[in-house]
Amino acid sequence: TAERTSKSERQMRRKALPPRAEKMAVDQDWPSVYPVAAPFKPSVVPLPVRMGYPVKRGVPMVKEGNLELIKIPNFLHLTPVAIKKHCQALKDFCTEWPAALDSDEKCEKHFPIEIDTVDYVSSGPSIRNPKARQVTLRVNCSRLNLDDHAKKKLIKLVGERYCKTTDVLTIKTDRCPLKRQNYDYAMYLLTVLYHESWKTEEWEKNKTEADMEEYIWKNSSSEKRTLETLLQINAAENKMQVNKEELLGTKEVEDYQKSLTSLKNEGENEITLSQYKESVKRLLNFTG
Amino acid sequence: MGTQAPQSIDVQPDNQVPVERPRTISRTNETDPAQHGEQHEGQHYSVPLQDLKTVFPHGLPPRFVMQVKTFGEACLMVRKPALELLHYLKNTNFAYPAVRYVLYGERGTGKTLSLCHAIHFCAKHGWLILHIPDAHLWVKNCRELLQSTYNKQRFDQPLEASTWLKNFKITNEHFLSQIKVQEKYIWNKRESTEKGSPLGEVVEQGITRVKNATDAVGIVLKELKRQSSSGLFHLLVAVDGVNALWGRTTLKREDKSPIAPEELALIYNLRKMMWNDWHGGAIVLTLSQTGSLFKRSKAYLPHELLGKEGFDALDPFVPILVSNYNLKEFESCIHYYLENSWLQHEKAPTEEGKKELLFLSNANPAQLERLCAYL
Repeated sequence: TAERTSKSERQMRRKALPPRAEKMAVDQDWPSVYPVAAPFKPSVVPLPVRMGYPVKRGVPMVKEGNLELIKIPNFLHLTPVAIKKHCQALKDFCTEWPAALDSDEKCEKHFPIEIDTVDYVSSGPSIRNPKARQVTLRVNCSRLNLDDHAKKKLIKLVGERYCKTTDVLTIKTDRCPLKRQNYDYAMYLLTVLYHESWKTEEWEKNKTEADMEEYIWKNSSSEKRTLETLLQINAAENKMQVNKEELLGTKEVEDYQKSLTSLKNEGENEITLSQYKESVKRLLNFTG
Repeated sequence: MGTQAPQSIDVQPDNQVPVERPRTISRTNETDPAQHGEQHEGQHYSVPLQDLKTVFPHGLPPRFVMQVKTFGEACLMVRKPALELLHYLKNTNFAYPAVRYVLYGERGTGKTLSLCHAIHFCAKHGWLILHIPDAHLWVKNCRELLQSTYNKQRFDQPLEASTWLKNFKITNEHFLSQIKVQEKYIWNKRESTEKGSPLGEVVEQGITRVKNATDAVGIVLKELKRQSSSGLFHLLVAVDGVNALWGRTTLKREDKSPIAPEELALIYNLRKMMWNDWHGGAIVLTLSQTGSLFKRSKAYLPHELLGKEGFDALDPFVPILVSNYNLKEFESCIHYYLENSWLQHEKAPTEEGKKELLFLSNANPAQLERLCAYL
C-alpha cells in the first residue's frame, strides 16, 4: 500500500467531491444559499432542471455546464421565504397600516388621489438615480366634482392623459429635478385643470358640430330635416298647421331621436340598426 | 299552373337530379315581381329577354351578364330583402316625400341584384326608372374632365354623362315624348331647347353634343324631380354604390390637387336628387364597398361607407340588410345550377358535395357563383 504515485498524479487524483446539492436537507435555510442575486450554479441548486433545444428528437441538456441557464436572469434569491425575511427586517422602518382602511373601496373613498413614486437603490459611485424624480398622479374623475361642461372641457384639455374606459386621469411629471418639486407641480396641475374647466370662455360659444364628443340631436341637421319631412307629410294629408313643438314632441319623433343618438354614439351593429329602421318606419307613417 | 310551395327541402340522397319535380324547388313561373310573395322565397324567376334589354341596358353586374349569356335566360332569386323592399314600394304613399331605402350588406350578398329586382317591378308598373348602375364609375378613372360651362367651379364628365344618357333613353323611351320641359335652356349661340318641348330633345342634345352631356343630365334630373310631384308618373331613383357621392375621388386637376366630389357636376346634381324634398316616387340605394375608394375591404355598415356627411344627408332612411343565403336559398341555387348543367363535377349533386360547397363559400352568393364556375 505504499503510495507509488508521484506528486502531480496525486494532485490530479484527488477525488472530485460530490456536488453540494446532494448534501442539502429538504428543510434547509434557502435564503442563506442564495442571499443575493447570483448566477445559476448547477452544483448548488438541487433541482434537476434541463434547458435547451432538443436536438434530433432528444431531450433538453442537463444543468451541468449549461450556458443557457447561466445567461438568463434567475430569481432564486427572491423565494417567498426570502421575501418574508426581507419584509420582517424592513418592518422596523415602517409605520402601521391604518386599521380602518381595510378594503380598496374605503381607500378610494378617503384618498381618491393616488401618487406613485419609485425609489432606486443600487451600489455604485453615486446613490442618486435620475429616474427617481418621476411622479405619477392618478385620480378618478368621478370624484372630482365636475359638471357636464367642466368634464368635457377637462377631457379636451388633458387629451391623452385621460382613460375613457376607467375614467382615470393620469398625470406624469418629471420636469423638475427633485421628486418633491415634481409632486408639487403635479398637484398644481390638477388644481389648475379643475379651476379652468369650470370657467367658460368667450370663444367656447363657437363650438361646432365637429368638436362635439357625442351626438346630440337637438339643433342638429337631422332635427331640421325631420321637421321638414314631417311638415311635408302633414301638408300631404291636409292636416291642420301644427307648430314645431307639437310635431317634434310626438312619440315617433322621440323614438327616432333615441335610436339615432344611440346609433351614432354607440356605433352600428345589428341591434341599433334594426331599432333605427323600426323608428324610421314609424316616423314616416309606413302602412303595413 | 302556378307554383307549388315547397314544404320541405328533402334532397334525394341518390346522385341523379330528381326529374319529377325540378321546377318546384328552385323555380317559379311567376314573372311579375308584383305577385312575388313569401311563398316564392328562395325560388328563381326568369326575366323576359325583351324586358332585359329595355330595363337593364347597363344595370346588371358583369358576372351576371355573362351568366345570362351562358344560360340563355336571366333568372333572379326571390329573396327576403327584395320582398321587403317590394312590399314597401307597393305601399308607397305618393303624396308623402320620397322615402329612401338603403340596401347594405357584406360583399357579394346580393344587393345589386335585389336592386335590379326592385327596378324590374317598377318598370313593369310603369314607373320612370332613373338608374345609375355604379356611382363609383363617376368618381374615378375619368379621361376627360372639362370645366363646366354652366358653373365655372365645377367639372364636366362628357363621356360618362353621354353613355348614361344613351342607356337612360333605352329604358324610358316612351316617357321621353310625354314629359315636357318647363323652362327654356340655351345650349350655345345657335342651339336652345324651348319651353314645352319634350324631354327627349334634351336627351338627344346631350347624346349628340357630347360637350353638353353633363348639363343635359343635370336638366333631366331637375325636370324629373320637379314634375314627379305633379303626378304624371312615378319616379324611381336607383343608385348603386351611393357611397361614392360622399367619399373621395381619385380625380385630380391639372395642378395635381385633388377634386372633391361636389365639384363634379354629375355628383352635385345627383346629390340633389337624394334629398327627400320631392314626392311621387321612391329612392332605392345600395352601398357598395367594391369599387369604393379609400375604404377598408371589410366595411359594409352605413356609417363606415357613407361617412358622417353621407349619413346625415340620407337620414332618415330605411336600412335593409342583405345577408348571405340561408339553407333554403342555398339549396335552390345549387338546384338551379344543376338544372342548367352548370355543375359538371360528379360529386356536385351529392350531400357531401353540397356540404363542401356550403363550407367553402359560407353561403355567400358571389363566392358560390365563382366556385361553381370551376366545377
